[in-house]
Amino acid sequence: MTAYRFSRRHLMGMGLTGLGAWTLGMGPRAALAQQSDVALQLSWLHSVQFAGSYIAAERGFWADRGLNVRLDSGGPNAPVEPPVVSGTALVGISAADYTASAVQQGAPFRIIAVAMQNNPFAITSLPDNPVNTPADLEGKRIGMATANTPVLRTLATLNDVDFDAIEIIPTQYDAAPLLAGEVDCLLTWSTDIPVSMYVRGIDSTVMLMADFGYTLHSQTYIATDDSIANRRDQLVALIAGEVQGWEEYRRDLEAATDLTLARFPDAGLDRDTQLEQARRQVPLMFSELTDANGFGWWTDDTVAQNIETLALLGMPVTADLWDRSILEEVHG
Amino acid sequence: MTLAAPPSTLVAPRALLRPDRAQALAGAVGALALWQLAALALAGSYLLAGPVDVVRYLSANWGLISRALGITLENAVLGFVAGNLAAVALALIVALAPRARMVVSAVALVVFCLPLVATGPILRVLYGPGPGPQITLAALAVYYTTFIPLLVGLRAAPASWFDLVALYGRGAWTAFVQIRLMAALPYLLAGLQIAAPAAFLGAMVGEFTGAERGMGVLALRAMRALDVEATWAIASVAAAVAMVAYGLVGWLSRATALARPELLVALPPVPGAGGAGRRWLGNAGMVAITLLVLIGGWWLAMEAFGLNRFFAKRPDDLWAFLVSAPNAAENRALLRDASAQSLVYLVPGYLAGLGLGAALAMVLVLAPGLAGAVLPVAVALRSVPIVTTAPLIVLALGRGAAGTITIVAVMIFFPALVACLQGLRQTPGQVMDVMATYGAGPFTRLWQARIPAMLPAFFAAARMSVPAAVLAITVAEWLATGTGLGNLMALTASTSNYNLLWSAVVLVALGSALGYAAVGALERAVLARVAPEQLRD
Repeated sequence: MTAYRFSRRHLMGMGLTGLGAWTLGMGPRAALAQQSDVALQLSWLHSVQFAGSYIAAERGFWADRGLNVRLDSGGPNAPVEPPVVSGTALVGISAADYTASAVQQGAPFRIIAVAMQNNPFAITSLPDNPVNTPADLEGKRIGMATANTPVLRTLATLNDVDFDAIEIIPTQYDAAPLLAGEVDCLLTWSTDIPVSMYVRGIDSTVMLMADFGYTLHSQTYIATDDSIANRRDQLVALIAGEVQGWEEYRRDLEAATDLTLARFPDAGLDRDTQLEQARRQVPLMFSELTDANGFGWWTDDTVAQNIETLALLGMPVTADLWDRSILEEVHG
Repeated sequence: MTLAAPPSTLVAPRALLRPDRAQALAGAVGALALWQLAALALAGSYLLAGPVDVVRYLSANWGLISRALGITLENAVLGFVAGNLAAVALALIVALAPRARMVVSAVALVVFCLPLVATGPILRVLYGPGPGPQITLAALAVYYTTFIPLLVGLRAAPASWFDLVALYGRGAWTAFVQIRLMAALPYLLAGLQIAAPAAFLGAMVGEFTGAERGMGVLALRAMRALDVEATWAIASVAAAVAMVAYGLVGWLSRATALARPELLVALPPVPGAGGAGRRWLGNAGMVAITLLVLIGGWWLAMEAFGLNRFFAKRPDDLWAFLVSAPNAAENRALLRDASAQSLVYLVPGYLAGLGLGAALAMVLVLAPGLAGAVLPVAVALRSVPIVTTAPLIVLALGRGAAGTITIVAVMIFFPALVACLQGLRQTPGQVMDVMATYGAGPFTRLWQARIPAMLPAFFAAARMSVPAAVLAITVAEWLATGTGLGNLMALTASTSNYNLLWSAVVLVALGSALGYAAVGALERAVLARVAPEQLRD
């Protein structure tokens, strides 16, 4: 509803601008070049995690398609779903499990592209007390947000590990409890806490959960049914810019990192950390599948695996959660 | 010896330093030394950086920090002004229309109880990108601790002054402007003093709702990046800002040299009282009206802004979730268990924080010289964001009862300390003169004169600490224990279960209101024994 109102008001704005241009003697062509303003809600603070979007903005991949995309920062108290459901943002960057929960709660979302083919969740430990396989978790103390308990339980189920033999210590998202010996391992992303440790010269053992059956799309692009039906052109243009931006990202990680640092000089970003993070997210985002079909793609097979993982997480969904039609237009 | 200095340089500083300043300086140096020693003891644990590392970090990154500081400070100042104006407006409404007191107080209390997980997304959707949510959250962090002392202050004048106004043939307006407003000023300043550090913290935490720049953003980044020097440098700057703000308001308060009111007055019972039965009926009626205003206001506000029901739940959504839905019993059980878990730590934490504040205030009155040394440390302790200090508390005391109760106590002791100090120092001059005439010692003066004079301020602190403690326990649960209502609310971020979140919000608000009412009843019972004259209407 809100989204529709927004676009109508916007069209009116365009009409007025067009009129203004006409009276100034520029003619209808100048008015046609008018850009549509939309927003992309990011899932966290600005960093190289979203460098593909910065490249798309900087190099005009969106402007060429008549789109002016505002990139809204996320944060610990800035969930992605409310602005997307309200129409403040056309597209949000979520994750398959978050989206499934939101849909369960009545939000009309669909996944229209997938940035992270492999889930970034990992168990991070220290090399002298390593967790190399899920079986190693038995008898260990793991530090994590209790919100992620279903994630750990699913990993245990997938690998026949006794979940009750793992002791969960509720911690903040922070490596300090691991280094202080309060816990034996942490549930982290492979692209942040292990990177911070690496940059500080601390070795870590990182067990990527995706390597042990935890198949779940992450950094997924979501939009409402209403937008998919009524703002299709904008969605296609936005995702096309993203695809182009991320392909450029892969071509030159250093340039992507430098662009991120230049765009956000006040964000307190450290180049070494950002570059290492940029490197580590490449294998999560690009695979044989994307090499064959393009960035953001998925197949019925990967969706089936996602549905299985989601069922274990207690979120029964159908393949309808995914809608590939936008991507097909982008790549087709 | 090489350390010997020429006599002249020894004399000069002694002449410059007044004894209280010397004590403050010694206190500051001692605190810095302790901090550095603790940092050395914890070296390699990535939990604490000492002052040396902090200074090194700040000098290397001053450009970055000063830009962030400018942004957060601006939002904090705007929020401070807006929040305190709102507090003054609310207090004036109550002063001019005493019958509205229960409704206004309840609305003020409930709005103060709204947790960031619920308000964050709503404010961001309402304002879009920009500083709106940060300013609003800074305002929300300050208005309540100004409103409550003002309520007391607007009545803190002796009856004889009003008689004087009447004697001169002047009306109620003169009495209001000349007596009530003037009497309220010291209370306003006490409130502003508590508000100044809170505004900065509020603006910082407001940045968690998706801001691009500022101290809160830098703090988040530093904590994730295991950058302990940056984390503590940011915390130190936040603490320094808070201390300067606290000092400025204090200086303002002294510089204006306002006349101290001679009497302190507790909040009166709801006016319009007849017999006991009628009064009870009147009270029940007020409660009903208040509930109606709250529920209606909640629904209206969300409808007026067209907020989507997915995340902005209405009363009828919660009715379905808790009463009429098939799994309503399950939902209620979940909330009941979580509330019980929260209460176990909330009550001891509240009592500990309040007791600590009152005890420290008494110590400072008995040994005024200590104030210069202790107060800055107390302000600093309050101003360092709890997300920075919580890991240290957890390390020292664990994630069990001791650690959790301490986090709650740390978060509420400061307002209690400031309010109690204000109350203790308000002891009427004549009473102290009488005590002096009879040669009473400092303890007798404290026990017989100062503590009774402090009680209204103490109870004001006890009242405003109720919602603060409830907020504190939810934060402690999120940071340390992973249990209780705080944990349920934090879960919303990944589950989008906004029904559960808003149910928890309602529980938190109701619990705070009940606690507030209980403190009020206790206050009247105590004052009826020790200071019945303060309960007159």
